[in-house]
Amino acid sequence: MSIDKNRLQGQPFRLVALLITVLLIVFLIGSPTSGFAQSKSARTLFADNKAGILQIRIIDITSGSKSAIGSGFVVNDSGLIATNYHVVQIAASKPEQYRIEYFSASGAAGSLNLVDVDVINDLALVQVNSQTNSQASSQIAAVLPLAAAEPAIGVPVYALGNPLDLGLTVVPGTYNGINQNSYHPRVHFTGSLNSGMSGGPTLNQDGEVVGINVSTAGNQVSFLVPVTALQQLIAEHQLRGQGVDNMELRIGQQLLADQDKKFAKLLALDWPTIALGEASVVNELSPFFRCWGGSNSSSDNAQLLNADRTCRSEDNIYLNGKFNSGVIEHQFFWLEADKLNTLQFYAYYQRLFSDFAPGNMARKKDVGGYQCDTEFVAVNNLEAEPQRKTKAVFCARAYKDYPQLYDVLFLQGTVDDSRAAFISHFTLAGVSRDNAKAYARKFMGVAQWR
Amino acid sequence: MAIIIELLGWGGKRQRYFRVENSSVTIGRGYQNDVVLDDAHISPNHLRLDAVNGGWQLTDLASLNGVEITKNTASPVSELGASDSIAFLGEGAEIKLGRTRLRIVSESHPVDAAKELHHLEQDASKLNRFSIWLPLFLISLVVEIAALYFNSFVEWQWKNVFSTILSTQAVLLFFALFWSALGRFLRSESQFLSHYCLILLAGLVYSLADWLIGILGYNAGTQTVAMILSPLNALLLLALLLSANFALATNMLPRQRWISSLGFVMLIIVVSITAQMRGWGEFSPYPDYFSGLGVPALQFSGAESADDFIASFDDVFAAADGSALD
Repeated sequence: MSIDKNRLQGQPFRLVALLITVLLIVFLIGSPTSGFAQSKSARTLFADNKAGILQIRIIDITSGSKSAIGSGFVVNDSGLIATNYHVVQIAASKPEQYRIEYFSASGAAGSLNLVDVDVINDLALVQVNSQTNSQASSQIAAVLPLAAAEPAIGVPVYALGNPLDLGLTVVPGTYNGINQNSYHPRVHFTGSLNSGMSGGPTLNQDGEVVGINVSTAGNQVSFLVPVTALQQLIAEHQLRGQGVDNMELRIGQQLLADQDKKFAKLLALDWPTIALGEASVVNELSPFFRCWGGSNSSSDNAQLLNADRTCRSEDNIYLNGKFNSGVIEHQFFWLEADKLNTLQFYAYYQRLFSDFAPGNMARKKDVGGYQCDTEFVAVNNLEAEPQRKTKAVFCARAYKDYPQLYDVLFLQGTVDDSRAAFISHFTLAGVSRDNAKAYARKFMGVAQWR
Repeated sequence: MAIIIELLGWGGKRQRYFRVENSSVTIGRGYQNDVVLDDAHISPNHLRLDAVNGGWQLTDLASLNGVEITKNTASPVSELGASDSIAFLGEGAEIKLGRTRLRIVSESHPVDAAKELHHLEQDASKLNRFSIWLPLFLISLVVEIAALYFNSFVEWQWKNVFSTILSTQAVLLFFALFWSALGRFLRSESQFLSHYCLILLAGLVYSLADWLIGILGYNAGTQTVAMILSPLNALLLLALLLSANFALATNMLPRQRWISSLGFVMLIIVVSITAQMRGWGEFSPYPDYFSGLGVPALQFSGAESADDFIASFDDVFAAADGSALD
């Protein structure tokens, strides 16, 4: 034994594991409140607000039974209800197969129409179907007020929802502020969100909504969408005055606009670097990236030196159960032949080089196949320094429903040194052509073997 | 005029023959006959042949199992029953009595002209020597061990490669044995070492060519080169190897040999294409890029600038758009 063989497979799988952890999505339901008084207990909050918190059910039209559940809450007196996009996504993409229904704690039920979404923040607005009956509307008219100011870190807050279809439940926890590590703001809520609570509100002690339950990383680490995102979506909806006709177009526009904003911000940054072997690589692009790394230098029977550094943005945009976007990954490897001869070293190098894959999931109905180009590329450093010859790979796949968006994979490895090699790699999910090109240019200029 | 009775074996090939100078011949299991055959299904006095004008008159001597005329140049094929015990046989007729097949010809029966000994046959026969096989065998061993060694990036341990080397040699040995057994059967001679040498040679040439193709493909920067040339190399060598082995082990004419060899290769192509067809058009969430890498000493093609590379992204995007339309 020598080099750690698990390492080869470990790299991509570690990413996937992390992705899955972060993606653990929960579903929840909540109960509304009148919104007066101070310092209410969990008991009173629950009692006061349960009329405004609904279970959202996705009903399979053919079988008549529910395929998925989540939570939602009433945000205005005309029957507008907020929930997560991922709760209603399946009904949004296949309206002929599924319909959306609500079910209140008091037993009222009715059908809902999807009127708008914010796919970036995983929010959706549904409207009580006016044709159903006005009686039902009045039964759920307990509007939950949205908090005007962000709570202080450490204050107790209460997540409401319908975990595992067990009935309306209140989960006390702590408000831990907006997570600074992600490009899309998420509130860090210390408390247990569970499947079924998604889309439910988290209330402060005054009974005001401070966030919308969205996901959990397990062990009491949960995430909420800040209420400001919901306020903006409601404002956009009221300005339009009617539901969105073409949801696919709307989502495509949101994705395009979001990536434009994100990459403008990223490309404007002065990218920090850090040494990896003799190369300098991109460090954490604060506040978007988390990096980690390792090497086999402590292993006695290692035949070669393998050091790596992987960075990843924690932004996952949920598009459907098997398709997400928005992630950025950087990966760097520094290899030295050490005990291996050149042929053996390149045999290992080739194996490693063949093992790169994108960081986001997608299916055939969502994207086309990857198309790739491979070239020998001379990396031009400063005029005075010698050029490095590299093998560079660029692959892209197009989104089927959202034009002008692609997942791209970039991979570059030096091929001019017999005893050492430097691999640099990035993947971008949901990026436009121009942003991908600009990103590659900047990346190639920063990540270099000097 | 003498009658020649040929005893036929598998495939109509003559095993031995009897020459009888009389104008009348008796055939049976009993020792009083002119031609004595050892077949339990033949009667002691089975049949008699009498020379008549331009052929022979066959008389079944009330045999138990009768005589089947399987090929007759004189009259329609028929079976002799107990009542109908006489038939007329032409030159080259074939009969079956019991489980024995016989052919009847006269001494003036024409034979094919002699075939030229093919140079391939002669050259390949020269390989049937231990002094040629041993160096070839050792070279192929060294090549295989070197290939394993240079592709290994874990600590080298002989015990890990023994099974690989043994199984490779076992497969080669199996094919050499197969061909020599075929030769023994079809030509009553077996050139085991010649077959073995041919297989080793083909393996060595294949390895060398495949290595060169790998370098060529790496420098060309596309997997298309290896995708086309690698199977071409393998199939071409296989056709050559098959043809040479057929020449040594069978009596095929050069034309038949090539048709058989190429036919077999075609069959492999059809089968492998059919097997791959299932995967065509299947969606994969993983990129299929050319990941081949070679040592710097074997990298001799030029490199483009980073700007040119980035400019070429547009072609990739256009192809990706096309792929998404499917």
